[in-house]
Amino acid sequence: MRKYWWKYLGVALIVYSFTVGLLVPLKPGIYSYDPGSMNTGQTYTLSVTGYNTFYTKAKDPIRVWLKYDSIHNIVATKVKILDDRKLEASFQIPKYLPTNDRVGVMSLIVDDDHDGFAVMPSTIFIKQDSLDKNTQLGSVSWTQSKIQGIHGKDQFNFPFRVQLSETIRNLYYHVPFWFAMFIIFIAGISQSIQYLRTGNQEYDYKSMSFTMVGTIFGIIGLFTGMIWAKDTWGTYWSWQEVKMNMTAIALLIYLSYFILRQSFDDDERRAKISAVYSIFAFGAMIALLYVVPRMVSSLHPGSGGNPALGADDLDNSMRMVFYPAIIGWTLFGVWMTSLVYRMQVVRDKLYDL
Amino acid sequence: MKKSFSVLLSLLFLMQNNLIAQSDNQDFMRSIGKMYVVYGVIVVIFIVLVIFLIYLDRRLTKLENQIN
Repeated sequence: MRKYWWKYLGVALIVYSFTVGLLVPLKPGIYSYDPGSMNTGQTYTLSVTGYNTFYTKAKDPIRVWLKYDSIHNIVATKVKILDDRKLEASFQIPKYLPTNDRVGVMSLIVDDDHDGFAVMPSTIFIKQDSLDKNTQLGSVSWTQSKIQGIHGKDQFNFPFRVQLSETIRNLYYHVPFWFAMFIIFIAGISQSIQYLRTGNQEYDYKSMSFTMVGTIFGIIGLFTGMIWAKDTWGTYWSWQEVKMNMTAIALLIYLSYFILRQSFDDDERRAKISAVYSIFAFGAMIALLYVVPRMVSSLHPGSGGNPALGADDLDNSMRMVFYPAIIGWTLFGVWMTSLVYRMQVVRDKLYDL
Repeated sequence: MKKSFSVLLSLLFLMQNNLIAQSDNQDFMRSIGKMYVVYGVIVVIFIVLVIFLIYLDRRLTKLENQIN
């Protein structure tokens, strides 16, 4: 019992990541709207579709804004609630935009006291056909209303992103495998170095077991990513996506490690060459997965700049599930490793008899 | 053993085709905020872990035969 505590811990963390990761709802958000572009000086009825919203339960009147920048915005003159997820907001677009640009990009803000506020940034285009010679006029008409009294909700929710929607949860079922894979490969490398230092066969088996589990985790990461890619990028395999292709190359390098091992009859030669090979494979993996993706643009969410853990991309509520999932899968991987290793040792003993 | 492995593999691909067909028809995978993508991802994790178990099982069977 005392020996197994970390196995139970790993499984408990995985169960936690599955239950919390699947049961916690997303924040209410704006799912879609229509029309996407407007002209100045006209009246429009904007139909908004929300996600996880309960518009009919709002006690105060729902307010909808089109926001140009920090001081310029207009408020909807009339908001009609159709059902929990649909509402219609009427806007009287002023004759001129606050600036002399031909097109202004507006953010859509919906605020109600039940769900809190939801923002769809930079989505609605407003065109102005004639420019205002006296810029003050446009500016004045856009400063009539103020965005204030916003209802902030402090619930434990995952953030809502239109393009990801519920698949934002894949952060707990796709990304932890890459982290766990990396940790397990490092463990494998340390065993390889130990083998080269001591020449003890045990370390070779350990290194091989770690590498096997790391490769399995890499394959899981690749396949889970492919399922998601099909519905986000429209294809199972995108040749434009650098992470995907580099991962495939890195995994091929690791797969050839196992083919290499099979081609030796002599235990010592096998152990030595595969230890050296795994060190080189690890170096290649670092370059392919952690250096190259930082130099080119990627289609992955949160890939602007540093593709790892940008502060903007990880909500605190997501961290509470994401980090336990990493630890859980790492422990689970070590458990898998120990099974493969123990079998190798038994096999060794049997053949020696 | 080999048979069960190939059956499992073909099941995996069957399931994939099924999902594709449905997403083409009624946009099944993208309904309810793309929740089924998360479901598919979890199924994939499970399938790969099962394949790992099958691998272990086969190796252990070999060792058992060796003892006998």
